[in-house]
Amino acid sequence: MTPQTLVASALTLLCAAPALATDRAAVLVTYANIAEAKYQDSLVTSRALQVAINDLISKPSEASLAAAREAWLAARIPYQQTEVYRFGNPIVDDWEGRVNAWPLDEGLIDYVDASYAGPTDDNLYASLNVIATPQFELSGTQVDATSITPTLLSDTLHEADGVDANVAAGYHAIEFLLWGQDLNGNGPGAGNRPWTDYAQGTDCTNGNCDRRAAYLQAATTLLVDDLEWMAAQWARGGAARAAVMADEAAGLIAIVTGMGSLSYGEQAGERMRLGLLLNDPEEEHDCFSDNTHNSHYYDGLGVQNVYLGRYQRLNGDVLAGPSLSDLVAETDPGLDAELRSKLDTTMAALEAIRTAVKGGMAYDQMLARGNAEGEALIMAGVEGLIDQTRSIQRLVPALGLDEISFEGSESLDNPGAVFQ
Amino acid sequence: MIRMLLFPLFLAGMAAADPGNDILDAHVLPGFDRLEAQTQALSAMADAECDTASAPLRGAFADAVKAWTTVSHLRFGPSEAENRGFALAFWPDNRGMTPKVLMGLILARDQAVSDSTAFAQVSIAARGLYALEYLLFDDRIATAGTAEYRCALIRAIAADGARLAGDMATDWHDRYAALMRSPGPGGTYQSEAEVLQEFFKALRTGLQMTAELRLGRPLGTYDKPRSLRAEMWRSGLSLDLIRASLGSQRELALLLAKEDTDLQMELAAKFDLALETASRIDDPTLVGVANPSGRVRIEALQQRVNEIREAVAKDLGPKLGVSAGFNSLDGD
Repeated sequence: MTPQTLVASALTLLCAAPALATDRAAVLVTYANIAEAKYQDSLVTSRALQVAINDLISKPSEASLAAAREAWLAARIPYQQTEVYRFGNPIVDDWEGRVNAWPLDEGLIDYVDASYAGPTDDNLYASLNVIATPQFELSGTQVDATSITPTLLSDTLHEADGVDANVAAGYHAIEFLLWGQDLNGNGPGAGNRPWTDYAQGTDCTNGNCDRRAAYLQAATTLLVDDLEWMAAQWARGGAARAAVMADEAAGLIAIVTGMGSLSYGEQAGERMRLGLLLNDPEEEHDCFSDNTHNSHYYDGLGVQNVYLGRYQRLNGDVLAGPSLSDLVAETDPGLDAELRSKLDTTMAALEAIRTAVKGGMAYDQMLARGNAEGEALIMAGVEGLIDQTRSIQRLVPALGLDEISFEGSESLDNPGAVFQ
Repeated sequence: MIRMLLFPLFLAGMAAADPGNDILDAHVLPGFDRLEAQTQALSAMADAECDTASAPLRGAFADAVKAWTTVSHLRFGPSEAENRGFALAFWPDNRGMTPKVLMGLILARDQAVSDSTAFAQVSIAARGLYALEYLLFDDRIATAGTAEYRCALIRAIAADGARLAGDMATDWHDRYAALMRSPGPGGTYQSEAEVLQEFFKALRTGLQMTAELRLGRPLGTYDKPRSLRAEMWRSGLSLDLIRASLGSQRELALLLAKEDTDLQMELAAKFDLALETASRIDDPTLVGVANPSGRVRIEALQQRVNEIREAVAKDLGPKLGVSAGFNSLDGD
C-alpha cells in the first residue's frame, strides 16, 4: 500500500465518521411519527366532517350545507399532506383508492346535468345513478341497493365493473354530494348543489333526498373508518411503521420513492400538466369544490415537510426530528442545499397559484385555452416539481442506496402486479 | 448474488466507456430527424389530398405514427419542453376527451384551424397524431360537420404536428444533445452516470408502456377484455406499433449494454424472442384479446416483454450503476 492510499483511507474514515451522527433509524422514526400525526389529523378532521354532515342531514339548511362544505375543505388540509406516503409504502398505496380515488364518473352516484357524457366505451355504468336506482344489474349480477350501506359502497359499487372511474366512496364522492357538478366550465364558480337536495318531504329537490342522505352518511362513515385504520398502521406496533423500520436502506428508499413519484408522475404530470394541456376543468383534482389550488399546495408541502422532518399539526404543535435532510447534509451538503432550495421554489410557485385564486382567477380559469397568465402560473409549479425530482433522484446515489433500489419495486419483481 | 459482484465494478468499468454519445448519434438524433421528415411529409400530403379514404394520406399517417413510436420512450428534454410530446401524442385517452373536443371544434367551426398560433392553444386532446386518427378513421368524427371544415382541421393538425416534431428535432440538435454530452456540476446532468440513468429510464419507460399500455390496456382481464383500448385500433396499427416500439427499444438496450458483450447477447435474444412472438400474431388491432386462442398469443407477447423488463432491471441497471429513478408513469 502506498502512502497515498493510506492517506486516502484515513480521509475516508474521517469522512465516514460524521456520517454516523444522524442515525438512519432515527430518520425513519421521524418519518413514521409524521405519518402517524398526519393520518391522526386527517382522522380528527374527518370526524368533524361527519358531525357536520349529520347536522346537515338532521337539519338541512343553507347554513348546515355551508358548514359541511367548510368541514370538508378543512379535512383536505392534513390529508393532502399524507399523499407523499403513498407511492413508497405499499400499505398506503393499496388502500389509497378507497379514500382519494379520482377522477370519477359522478353519474354513477347521483343525478347529473344533461351535458354529462353518459355511458362511455370505457365505462358502461358512468350514469348508473345509484341514488335514484334501488335495484340494478351490475356486470351481470342483480344488485339490491334498497339500503345504502358502507359495505354496499366499498364492496359492490367502488370500482364497479373493474373501472377506476367508478368511484363510489372517499373524499371526492363526498365532495360531489356536497357541491354537485361544477357546470361553470372554464368560468369561475364551484358546484352549486342546493341544500334542498337534503330536504325531506315536499321540499326535496332532484328526488330521492332520503337515499342521497343515506349515501352521504355511508360514504362519510367509510372515510372515518378507513382513516382510523390507516392511523393505526402508523402507530407503535402498526404494520406500516414496522414495514418502514424493518430495513434501514429500504425504509430510506420508501421515503425517496414517495417524494419523487408524487412530485413527478402524479402531481406535475397527471394532476397539473395534463389538466392544463387538455383545457379541461374536470381535470381539476378537487373539481366540484374548486379547491384544487389548495390540494396542489398541500401535496407539495407534504413532500417538503417529509424531507425536512418537521410537520406542523392542526393544533399548532410542531413535530420535528432527525430528517432525511440532516442525513443528506452530512454526506453531500451541496445536494441538501440544492434540494431545499428547489422545494422552496416549488412551494413559492404553488403559493402563487393560491394567491391568484384569492385575487379572483379561479383554477378552472387558469386551465382555459389562451389564458397565458394561468398557464404560466401552473407551468411554474410543474417545472418546480420536475426540477425537484431531479434532485430527489440524486439522493439515491448520495445515500449509497443504489443497490437496494433495484429491488423492492413491485413493478419489477412482479410486473403483473401494477395492473391489478 | 450477481448484482453484489458486479456492483462495485461499475465506476471502473464505465469511466472509460461513453455510451451516451453513441446513443445520441445512433438512436436519438436519427429518430427525431425521421420524425421531423415523416410529419412534414404527412403535412404536405394533407395539403395536397384531403380525402380521408386516400391511400397515400393514410400511408403518410402510418409512417408518421411509426416514426413517433420509435422515439416515444424519449419523453424528456425536448419532448417535455413546451409540452411538445404531449401535444403530438395524447394517449391513452382514458376519458374519451379526443372525440369530445374534436366534435366541439367541428360543430363550432372553431376558427383556430386557420391560424397556427391559435391552433397551438387548442386542447392537446384535439391535436397530434391520435386526434388525426379519429379524423381519418372514426366513423362518427370523419363524417361530422362539413367536409370543408374537417379538411381544414386535418391540415391544421398535420401542420401543427410537423411544427412540433421540427421543434423537437431542432432542440435536440441545437441544445439538448450538447447538454447530455457534457455533464458536469451545476448542469442538468451532473455526471455521465446521470446521462446514462436518463437513457436507462427511457428504456424502462418504453418497455413499461409496451407491456402495460399497448398490451395491458386491451388485454384488460380475462373476464373483461378491452380491445377498444388498443392503441390506434381504428387505423389498424396496434400490433405494428408494438413491433416498432420493441425494435427501437432493442436498439437502445444494445447501445446501453455495449460494454458487455454477454449482456448484449442476452438482451438481443430476449428482444428477438418477443419480436418473433409478435410476428406470429395475425391480429393487427388486437381484437383477439376477447377469444381464448387469440388472447393466449397476446398474453405470451406481454410475458416476453416482461421478461425483457426483468433483465433490464436486474442485469442492465447494475451494470450501468444507475438506479431506476422516476418516470412519468409513476403515480396512478
